[in-house]
Amino acid sequence: MSTDTESRRTERTISLGGTRTGRSETGQTVGPGAFRMLALGCVLVLLASIVSVLRDVTQVVGGTDSLFVLAGTMLLAATLLARLIRPRTATIAAVTAASLGFAYYLEASGVGVGVVLSATESLLADVVTLVTGLSLLRTVEASALTLGLVPAPVFLSWYLALRGRYALSVLPGGFALCFLVLTGDAELTITLIGTLAALGTVGFGELDRRGGSIAQADLLAVLFALIIVLSLSVTFVPGNATGPVTLDRGGPSSLEGAIDSAGQRSGFTGQVDLSPEVRFTVESEQASYWRTGVYDRFTGDEWVRSGQLQSPNGPINSPPGKYDVARQVVTAETELGVMPVAPQPLSVSKGAAQYAEVTRHGQIHPSTTLIEDDSYVVESAIIDSDPASLKQAGTNYPDEIEEYYLQLPEGTSSEFDDRTATVTEDADNPYETAATIESYLRSSKGYSLDIEQPNGNVAEEFLLEMDEGYCIYFATTMAQMLRAEDIPARYVTGYTSGQQVDDNTHVVRGLDAHAWVEVYFPDHGWVSFDPTPSGERDEVHLDRLQEARENGRENVDTDESEDVPIRNDSDDGSDDGRSPDPTEPGPPDNETDPTNPDDPPNSTDPNGTNTTDPTRPDPGTTAAQDGDGDDADNPLAITIPREFLAFTAVTIVGLAAAVHRTGGRELYDRTIGLYWQRRRDDPARDTERAYRRLERLFEREFRPRRPGESPRAYVSALGAQAATTLPTDRSAESGSQPRSQGDPQSRSDFRSDPQARSHSQSPPTPDPTDPRVEHVLACYEQAIYGTGVTPDDAATAIEFVDELARERLPFVGPNSDAASNADRP
Amino acid sequence: MTDADPTSETVLETPPADETAVEPLALSTVETIGTDIAENVSRVIVGHEDVIDHVITALLGRGHVLLDDVPGVGKTMLARSIATSVDCTFRRIQFTPDLLPTDVTGVNVFNQQTREFEFQPGPIFGNIVLGDEINRAPPKTQSALLEAMEEEQVTADGETRGLPSPFTVIATQNAIEPNRTYDLPFAELDRFMKKLHLGYPSPEDEAELLGRTVGTHPIDELESVTDRKTLVRAREAVSQVQVAKPVRKYVTRLVGYTRENAHIGVSPRGAISLLRASQARAVVDSREFVTPDDVQVEAPVVLSHRVKTNDRARDGSDIVADALERVPVEERDG
Repeated sequence: MSTDTESRRTERTISLGGTRTGRSETGQTVGPGAFRMLALGCVLVLLASIVSVLRDVTQVVGGTDSLFVLAGTMLLAATLLARLIRPRTATIAAVTAASLGFAYYLEASGVGVGVVLSATESLLADVVTLVTGLSLLRTVEASALTLGLVPAPVFLSWYLALRGRYALSVLPGGFALCFLVLTGDAELTITLIGTLAALGTVGFGELDRRGGSIAQADLLAVLFALIIVLSLSVTFVPGNATGPVTLDRGGPSSLEGAIDSAGQRSGFTGQVDLSPEVRFTVESEQASYWRTGVYDRFTGDEWVRSGQLQSPNGPINSPPGKYDVARQVVTAETELGVMPVAPQPLSVSKGAAQYAEVTRHGQIHPSTTLIEDDSYVVESAIIDSDPASLKQAGTNYPDEIEEYYLQLPEGTSSEFDDRTATVTEDADNPYETAATIESYLRSSKGYSLDIEQPNGNVAEEFLLEMDEGYCIYFATTMAQMLRAEDIPARYVTGYTSGQQVDDNTHVVRGLDAHAWVEVYFPDHGWVSFDPTPSGERDEVHLDRLQEARENGRENVDTDESEDVPIRNDSDDGSDDGRSPDPTEPGPPDNETDPTNPDDPPNSTDPNGTNTTDPTRPDPGTTAAQDGDGDDADNPLAITIPREFLAFTAVTIVGLAAAVHRTGGRELYDRTIGLYWQRRRDDPARDTERAYRRLERLFEREFRPRRPGESPRAYVSALGAQAATTLPTDRSAESGSQPRSQGDPQSRSDFRSDPQARSHSQSPPTPDPTDPRVEHVLACYEQAIYGTGVTPDDAATAIEFVDELARERLPFVGPNSDAASNADRP
Repeated sequence: MTDADPTSETVLETPPADETAVEPLALSTVETIGTDIAENVSRVIVGHEDVIDHVITALLGRGHVLLDDVPGVGKTMLARSIATSVDCTFRRIQFTPDLLPTDVTGVNVFNQQTREFEFQPGPIFGNIVLGDEINRAPPKTQSALLEAMEEEQVTADGETRGLPSPFTVIATQNAIEPNRTYDLPFAELDRFMKKLHLGYPSPEDEAELLGRTVGTHPIDELESVTDRKTLVRAREAVSQVQVAKPVRKYVTRLVGYTRENAHIGVSPRGAISLLRASQARAVVDSREFVTPDDVQVEAPVVLSHRVKTNDRARDGSDIVADALERVPVEERDG
């Protein structure tokens, strides 16, 4: 009988194992060969995950084809060499390949291989920066680094896998993946896939080598699920807000947050809100857009600032052409993670220089968060160029400008280029091109903060598909269009000039956050353009501020700004005389383009002094910089369900495997199974299970049965035990008639009348001397050792155990007790 | 040397034809027989109910019993009361150092009248044979018992003769005086189903015992409660008691444990004896099938004398006790 049960059990395990691993295509006919294929497949997946991460980089900076060719070549080489060379030779080859790749990168970045000998420390520092979250995209020579990174891990991993050294083969690939995770390039999904593939390689490799069965893969399934669940719930890898370990696109749904949530990247969101809180005040004779970030590399869905920060020792690069120097005193009114400054900053005051860092692009950043009332003095170069001279500037761009500011993501569609060409076909020089694009965007697209974030290349989507957007869409699209026309352009973020409260004081609020474009002109430098339709924008913003004031929100005003009436946008718009204000160095400075009468920047100056206007009816919103970023409800609502489903599925599979592994079946038996038992056709099995339940009941009350103890011996031992402990309580409770448990006479009395016995029973625990216990025990013995039980007996046994179990329950037990007490004379 | 038993002249029945036609008794009747014998014996033997039960189950389970104890605790009295309770041929052999094998099995004697050699059956030809102080006889004589106990037959002068049925040896053994006794050969020891110890009676029992000695000895008034034929049929019934596979496996595990944990473990014959004793025990406990409880009751007396240890501090009974405690009664999940 038991052998039958055993074999049945084994079968069940196998079939469960087959479905559980989710690789049911291998079915039950899993042999060693299948495991080998699985292991090799996992290695390929691991390598594919690495290459796909690198491809994301090359798609931005170029070189995708080379990447694939390189990876393919390495795979082929490894396949060919797998049988020819020994592991040591292969390792040497791989190390050589890695060194060559590195040398290629150094040469490409113009440093030269010699730097390895001369500046090892700074190279090490670079590596450290990379692995602490500096994206590959932010390295200046991202393409070269990417290509250099591919050959060694691909070759070595595949080579070792083919030689059957699965555990070893995971090392190079895993190392590379690890590196990419640390740089923040590998996204969650890719990382997960790679990790699981690595795990799968080792697991299946082991099964292959040891000749395991698919049933043993349950541990693997548990590990898979554990990794997935943990990686989705634990965050410790350094990265950015959009880094590899967040499910959503990192909370900020305020405009400010969308623009400046991270210093190195500027991403896109859909719907955003405006914070009316005052961020900082500027004392400056000239109003200006206050720039906080400059970005040069566009990935299609975010802007990346390449290069690293340096401390501002000495003067910052000044523009090549003529400029005026403007001095500003900026005072933070709240915690501030940026240093707003009028472009282009030349120097910062001594005190501020300690915590200021300068990017490659000449923008300053604070190395620590500024707190309220921190202030610093900056001198900026205000480019003094009129449109006429800009038109003459020509296209003789310096090499480094051409190299970094003409980048378009690979795969930018020809439609985008075509449309750009159509828009700009009448323009004769870069300045006119820029002005044309600016006016085209202003006139053809509407301003709205309530939009859905597009998929794919944002610039393309905005130009070709969307009708509305806000500053970051306008600015991105313009920058990309300019680049498509081979005009160096970059995307900058910051704040508009804000509310002017007296002659030279400007109050800047969160809702003044803005993004615009800078275009390079030889011999002049970077000139700002703002493609965002300012009129609509101002309206929206003004409404928002007024609403905030009405609601009595704090931090909406400074002492000065409170009393100053906000000038309406219509005032601003009608005030044509104000726009050609020569002191205002803002982007589409009227002074710079008066010759173009149909150029909208002239008529509607975007940096009007009162850009402060609220519209958004969401008072609960604050900027991400306040530290309490809101839920990005829209993107979340779309993405979560699917991910959540997958998450749940994985958890369930993992739990199922774990349950199988740890004998959760027993757990069920111990809990629910105590109180309920499914009837089967087989009375013997039913009886057996009934007895097991009874035994578990006893187990809880007394002790488990010892292995050498027969069922009957166990029950009678418990009976003896109960007789020594219970009688005193029992006699006290039942009063007149103390009952001796050991007395065979009384026991046989009870046996004759089980019903009466059960009712007069005072302790809720199953009593080992209960006649129902005896019945179950007798049935069990009859079933196991005797000639079998009748279905009726089995049913009675189950019923008795049900009763006994339920009497233990807190509510059922006492009730029956009370009833029996009432019956008593 | 042989006991001049009055029944020795009764014609010995050698019933091979009879045996095949034995019709088993109803188990309830067998149980009654067991109870009757036990009650009968307890008139003579005060206390020692468990030992009496063991002897009865051995009798029903076709086993031989070895009573091992110091002199004077009632070993012989127990054997005699059992024999008396069953109306059948009872023989007694007093083993001494000069006892010869032929003194046990019997010899061919030349009959002057018929002028032929005639087999004179020895005392072994009885239904219940009491071997008193069996360990006083040398190994040569002991060996005469081997064939008889195992195969229920005797070979004398090349001629094999079957022993009467039922055939049960109840032997007593003197546990002291090691210098004047021989150790039983292991092969012979193995042929005893059970080795029992009576021990001293409890104070109450002893007082009762002393009271009974006044006047005639109770054994003189003892009457039989069953007869030979009934016993044969009862044995047949017992041998058909069901032993389910889990029980058989349990016995196997127990026996296996002793083999793994002692110098010499229990032989397959020991395992068979255990099962037979358990069958009888089940019947006495009014059950139609054997449960592990029966096995556990019988194992200490059936197995202990078959286990030999090298460790002086632990003898066979310790090993068996360990086995009973550690060997799982039921196989749990694979």
